[in-house]
This record gives sequence, structure tokens and C-alpha cells, in this order.
Amino acid sequence: MKPLLLFLRKNPLATLGGIVLLAILLAVIVGPWLSPYGPTKLDVLNKLQGPSLAHWLGTDSLGRDVFTRVLHGGRFTLAIGIGVVAIAFAVGVFFGTLAGYVGGPIDMVIMRFVDAMLSFPALVLAIALAAAFGPSLNNAMLAVAITLAPQFARVARSQALAISVKPYVEAAVSLGLLTRRILWRYVFANGLGPLLVQASLSIGSAILQTASLGFLGLGAQPPLSEWGADVSSNLQYLRESPWVALSPGMAILFTVLCFNLIGDNLADWFNPRRRNELD
Amino acid sequence: MASFLLRRLLALIPVLILVLVIVFSLVRLIPGDPAVTLLGPGATDQQIAALRAQMRLDEPFYLQFINYVIGLFHGDMGISLKSGAPVLSEIMVRLPATLELALSATLVAILVGIPIGVLSATRPNSLFDHFTRVFSLVGVSMPAFLLALILQLIFATYLGWLPVSGRLSPYIIMQPITGFVIIDGILTGQWDVVWSAIRYLVLPTAVLAAFLAATLGRFVRNTMLEVMSEDFIRTARAKGLSRSQVIIQHGLRNSLLPAITVIGLKFAEMLGGAILTETIFAWPGIGRFMFEAIKNRDYPVIQGTTLVFSLLFMLTSVLVDLLYGVIDPRVRKRMK
Repeated sequence: MKPLLLFLRKNPLATLGGIVLLAILLAVIVGPWLSPYGPTKLDVLNKLQGPSLAHWLGTDSLGRDVFTRVLHGGRFTLAIGIGVVAIAFAVGVFFGTLAGYVGGPIDMVIMRFVDAMLSFPALVLAIALAAAFGPSLNNAMLAVAITLAPQFARVARSQALAISVKPYVEAAVSLGLLTRRILWRYVFANGLGPLLVQASLSIGSAILQTASLGFLGLGAQPPLSEWGADVSSNLQYLRESPWVALSPGMAILFTVLCFNLIGDNLADWFNPRRRNELD
Repeated sequence: MASFLLRRLLALIPVLILVLVIVFSLVRLIPGDPAVTLLGPGATDQQIAALRAQMRLDEPFYLQFINYVIGLFHGDMGISLKSGAPVLSEIMVRLPATLELALSATLVAILVGIPIGVLSATRPNSLFDHFTRVFSLVGVSMPAFLLALILQLIFATYLGWLPVSGRLSPYIIMQPITGFVIIDGILTGQWDVVWSAIRYLVLPTAVLAAFLAATLGRFVRNTMLEVMSEDFIRTARAKGLSRSQVIIQHGLRNSLLPAITVIGLKFAEMLGGAILTETIFAWPGIGRFMFEAIKNRDYPVIQGTTLVFSLLFMLTSVLVDLLYGVIDPRVRKRMK
């Protein structure tokens, strides 16, 4: 707990990001319960109304309350960001740690594959994969996770390379521990710091990319409410009622901004060279 | 330099083969019979059998792959299911538009991002420095499609200063020479064409450049701060060089190398962003082509555009390595 408090005290911007993020989290969890409107409740008589006391962000073309829909969509978007990074983390760290610890031809094959994945612009590969898997929210998440995994593999590999020559690993090997156990308890556990920084930096781009897929129609399908898809499905009313399409877009911006504020400061914190600068 | 280039290109071959495997596998990832999926509902058994034979789906996987690669070397990327035209020629028609957009965005990002970074680094923790930080964080957190829509709304719809979408005024008819509208306009001396093309280019360029300028500004600031604390900077100051000489010739020049790496890497993200930007601004490049192919389930086009995007990225990374040599004499020496 103490290092966390120190980090927050030294990084006011990260603290701000954290507080806003908690507020967003609270709003999307509790908000829909408090809202008098349902996310799919139609009210055609009151369609495309401007922001007012009754409808804070106005109503969309079917008279649905935009604020309620943004709160509902946020549940998916936040879950997506964390879910995508969790998948990418698991896959990338597994292969990266294996490559770095075992070395030899296994390392060669895994890392060439990582190079090849990184030779695609991430969004292009995600779009191509999502198109091949078929449009759905789960497939979009999987596609984005696949494109993020190579970065985790790279970090995990370099950590494993450095750790596998440490005396305590040598001791574990000479004690005859199973390789599986050494990888998990020694190599992975001791290399966790930079991987967590990478994870915190990735959540923002995971949300941005999944939202982009949603915007292109490759993510969540209607009537499911997801921020990226909500922007594109209201584009035809952009001119007269810009709040309908722009509100979920602004929600993405603020959420990603908060994650980036935290990730950015964490990365500086764990970087010894930059850390001296901050002290 | 030539031998370095050759070695660098040879090293790309294993990666390229894996890239081709991934692109080739894309269609095979679709659940079910690729031929049935490709032709869509309403295809006759004969058509399906013909396509199966054409795609050699009855042969083993590795033979199919080898045939695919041999086809690529003959410039055969398959046939677009939508238009019936060869994918390669469809891509070549659209490639200049995408390159025009990407290059102008890179240029703008460099012209904005590097000065911002240098100015911030020379005045750390000033108001301007804080502004740079906020600008760069918002820039990297902004969904490209949101920025595109906001700019479109303000400058095209409300103010009417710039066209909403497209690449050239519909009243102008042009025979392409190079395919780059601005260059073609200059070559033929049609200045109204050049002016129209620039007006259409402004908004999509701004969207693509914002992200890169934001990243670059922050990155240059951080490297400059590190460089400016080096001994050779103190030496340069001590021998009486002016402040601007120290900053530009000694500070900036040594910060450029990492900056170029970032530009090269972010160029790829920009190509991805081009899909969104081109779609929103109806820009007739390969990004929008790929988007339309996804809507039409035109898999050969999806494969082709994915491959071209990846090749562009690889070429950029080679180019970045060569630029190192141009800028840094130490690297040039090692390249020999």
C-alpha cells in the first residue's frame, strides 16, 4: 500500500486519471440502475431532442436517452479493454517466457512469428482477422488481443532472458524442480513489473482499437450498445443532432485519456533513468 | 551502403514468408468451405466446383500456399469478387491516393511535432511544456474517427471553409499521369486542380497527422532533455556557440535518430488510421477499398490490401535504417 500512496503523491496527474476513471467506473456500474430510462426504451415522439434536464445528453433518432445508452455502452467498453489486455497478456507472456527461457530453435520460431505479426499495422491486422472471424464483439476482442500479444511476448522474452541466468534460477534447476514450476514461480513472478507496465499502457490502445472495429461495423452488433458502434450508427444525424454520435465518442476519449495518464506515469515510475528526474 | 541494403533485405525474407502465411491463412480462418463463403449465398454447385478448382482447395495446404506465392510473384493477387477485376490493378489505382495522404500527414506531423518538442525541452516545466504534455496525451487518446467527425462538422459542415469529403472537386476531370493529383496538377500546370486537391487534403491530413505529431512532440521533448544534459552540449556552450546553434546543431541532431525510429513505427499506426480516415472522408485510397471489401465480404481484396499495408510498413522500416546512415556518420561507418 505504501508504494502506491507514494506513487500517487508524486504523480498528481495519474491520481487525477485514477479518480476520474473510478468515477466513470462507478457511473457505468450504478448509473443504469438510477436512470429512469432503459437503454432500448423507445420514445419516438421525443426523438432527436437536444440536451435538457430530462435528457442530459438529448435523445437519439428512436427517442432513446443518449446518456443512459452511453452508460450502458461503457460497461462493454471497459470490460473490453480489460478483457482484451488479459487475453493478450496470457498468450504473449506464455510464448515470450517460453522463448526466452528455453532458447534455441523454439525461441527462433516464436520470435520470427512475433516479428511477422509486428510487420502488420496493428489495426490492419485486427480488421483483417475480425473480418475473417466474422463480425461480433467476441471476435473483435479476440482479433485485437492477437495483435497486442506480440508486444507482451517481446517484453516477457527479454525479462526471461535476463532472469534465466540468475543464481536463484540455477539453484532451482540444480534442485531438480520441474521446468513448468521454474517458469511460473521464478521466471514469470520475478519479471512481472515491466509486464504490468506494458499492460497498463495497452488498455488504452485496446479500447481504441476495439472501438475502431465497432465503428467499422466489425464489433458489437445492434441492438447491443458499444461506444464505437454507437458513434457510427448515429452518423446520419451528425449534422442536425451532433450530440447523439459525439457523446459516446467523447466517452471513449475521456476513458482512454485516464488509462493513458496512469500508464504513462507508471512507465516513468518503473524506468530508473526517468525516476531520478522525478525525485 | 549497397551491401548493407542487400543484407537488410535478405533478413526480411523469413519474416516476409511468415507474413504471407498469415495473409494466406486469413481466408482459411473463415468457418466452412472457403469457396462457398467466397461466392456467397445463391452460388450454383458448378460455380463452387469451379472456384474450388481455381483455388486448388483439394490440394494439400502447403501446395496451395506455394501456388499462392508463385501467383504473387507473377503479380496475381486474385480477382475481386465484387468488380471481377484483378486485385493488384485495383490496388495500384488507389495506392497513390493513400500514399499522398500518408506522406502529407507525416510531413505535417514532423513540421509540427519536432518544433513543439524542441521548444518544450528548452523550457521544461513551463506553461508551454505543460500544454505540449496535454496536447500529446489527448492526441494519443483520441479515437481517429472522433477527431475526423469533429473537424468535418466544424470546418466543412458549419463553417463551410473546406469540402466535407472526397479527393477532388467533382467538376474537375483529370487524366492521371502519376496518380498523385497534386503532382499531376503541377506537371500539367493546372493550378486550379492543385488548389482544389490541397483543399480536399487538409482535413484528412490533419486527422492522421494529429496522432503522429502528438507522439513525436512528447518523444522529441524527452530525448532532447536527455541529450541536453550530455557533456558535449556543455563543451559546445563553453566554446561560445550561440544558444540556437547549440540547440539545433548539437541537441536536435543527436535527438533525431530516435525520433526517426518513432516516425517509422508510427507510420504503421497511421496506415491503420488511414482505413478509418479514408472511410470517413470518402478518400479513394486502399484503406477505404479494404473497408468496402469487408462490407462486401470480398476476401481476395481483404488479403491483397492487408499484404500491401504490411509491405509498405516493411519498406518504411528499411528506409528508416538507411536514414540512420544518412544522418549519423557513426552508423554509416558500421554499414560498410
